[in-house]
Amino acid sequence: MTRFVQLLVDGIATGAAYSLFAVGFTLVFGVNRILNLAHGAVFMAGAMIAVLLVDRASIPFLPALLIGMVAAGAINVLLDIVAFRQLARRQAPEFAAVTASIGAILIITNISQRVSDTSVQRFPPEAFPGSVIDVGGVQLTLIRLVIVLVAAVLAGGLILYLRSTLYGKQLRATAVSEATSSLLGINPGAVRLQAFFISGALAGAGGVLIGVAFNNVNFAMGDLYLLYGLVAIVFGGMGSVGGALTAGIVIGIVQSFTVGYLSSQLSDAVPFVLLALILLVRPSGLFTVFTSERRVGRAAA
Amino acid sequence: VNQFWISNKPLIEAILINIGLAFSQYVVLRAGVFSVATIGLAGVGGYTAGLCSLRLGLPYPVALLGGMAMSTGVSLLLGWPLSRLRGIFQAVATLAFVLVLQTMMLDLTGLTGGSFGLNGIPREVQTWHLMLAVVVMAFLLVNLGRTRPGRAFDAIGGDETAAVTHGISVRRYQFMAFGLSGLFAGLSGGLLAFQNYSVEPTQFGFAPTIDVLIYVVLGGTVSVLGPIVGTTVFMALPEVARPFAANRDIIVGVVLIFVVIYLQDGVVDSLRRLWRDRRARRARERRDGADAGPPLAWSSPPTTPQAVKDHAEA
Repeated sequence: MTRFVQLLVDGIATGAAYSLFAVGFTLVFGVNRILNLAHGAVFMAGAMIAVLLVDRASIPFLPALLIGMVAAGAINVLLDIVAFRQLARRQAPEFAAVTASIGAILIITNISQRVSDTSVQRFPPEAFPGSVIDVGGVQLTLIRLVIVLVAAVLAGGLILYLRSTLYGKQLRATAVSEATSSLLGINPGAVRLQAFFISGALAGAGGVLIGVAFNNVNFAMGDLYLLYGLVAIVFGGMGSVGGALTAGIVIGIVQSFTVGYLSSQLSDAVPFVLLALILLVRPSGLFTVFTSERRVGRAAA
Repeated sequence: VNQFWISNKPLIEAILINIGLAFSQYVVLRAGVFSVATIGLAGVGGYTAGLCSLRLGLPYPVALLGGMAMSTGVSLLLGWPLSRLRGIFQAVATLAFVLVLQTMMLDLTGLTGGSFGLNGIPREVQTWHLMLAVVVMAFLLVNLGRTRPGRAFDAIGGDETAAVTHGISVRRYQFMAFGLSGLFAGLSGGLLAFQNYSVEPTQFGFAPTIDVLIYVVLGGTVSVLGPIVGTTVFMALPEVARPFAANRDIIVGVVLIFVVIYLQDGVVDSLRRLWRDRRARRARERRDGADAGPPLAWSSPPTTPQAVKDHAEA
């Protein structure tokens, strides 16, 4: 039983970081209809910036986390201005935006590879006092608590922002219909800016937390987590914030149990098998949000 | 010439194999399917061919056919549900497919040899086999434009809504495009297995998927020359220009973004259109000079109306 709870707690901690990543991914898809594959690279960039600040400039963890988030958000906004806005103005097909985001992956990954000399970066041990709290046999490390806390604050903040502030409401209105909301006086450019910044900042936060959880930040980590992000958004319904949050935690828990009870080798496979099953049973995934938005000629599944 | 041939043989063979993969990616894009399954399907073809040869002791051509049959089957199986979905979901699902397959290659150690892959596959492929394969595929693709399915592909790729309103079944033709793509991918994967002595999971993951997509996007998705030029240029360039090799990813990334924004049809198709427009203008000027008739109404061949006529008759 203790083991079960321990695995559950560990799973929730990593799952919380996945959630942040997935929410940012789904936000841009929901608001701007862009499948930004560079989200994984932005996530890695946030982690890389934070780990280099802590390791090389001896900046404490929390400020480094904040700088990493803001930088990741800025990279995402830059990407939007340089590529996605140009494509939207030319009314390019969805395919073009995905291809452009692949170009961005190559650029961001290559720069990070150079900055990090192709080596794995780690947070120095003194950045975190390794204190462990023992609750009835379940080990709670300080790092895990910090991860869950940061993730909870950010996710809560995002939900509050989307539900209660004017900007958040504009964002949600644009997600429903960009044309209608701009007729009603909402500036679509400002909404894009927010969506991309929030998305990038959450990716950056997720990256830093994952980097801390496994104490491993490397230039190639974006690809793997991009795939977890894909699983999470298919699982939770593309464009659904609550769905992505839940799905991230579910993936974390499932993975933790796989490592604990089956084998660590399988833990990377599990999310994909899950995804394959969803796609087999219901090929539209659990894309519940946009089922009405199909092109002509495709039967509603 | 002989010296050049010997020293560059591995590169030339790799380019030929990758042109086959680019063709597989090109077919689906031409039909408006946003599938990125090519590399996964090539993996199915390569592993099946390798297993047929190593475990069953089948001769090389039979093993190759086995790989092609398997990858075509898998592609049709994948295409059945996916031809119902909208582009972006096809992309997500096929990307997931590639990764599920790669995970299977890594984890089904008994069958696939895990991360070491299948080794000791006899090297049976001669360079001319690869050339023949590319020529045959190119021939099929060029002539595809003269058949009904080919014209339907072009109509759907051009404008899906217009195609549907003229009675073209998007599902049926996209399903067919999946099959053809699987066939080409399986052939290329099988040839790779018999050229390379081995197949391993790293050859069939995310990075090669992106590479193949880049060849086609940069080259162009309309003309058959597009994937050929795209693949050749992007594989040969790092060998020719060292500074390019060192900064390959950054340059490719910048070029990719530039191309999708400013040359939406890829390099080859954009150039072809420029040339065609110029020729049409010249012809018009010449004729206007002679009898000052009305300007030409349109200058490009009416591919879509032809496809529409097919289906009106059907």
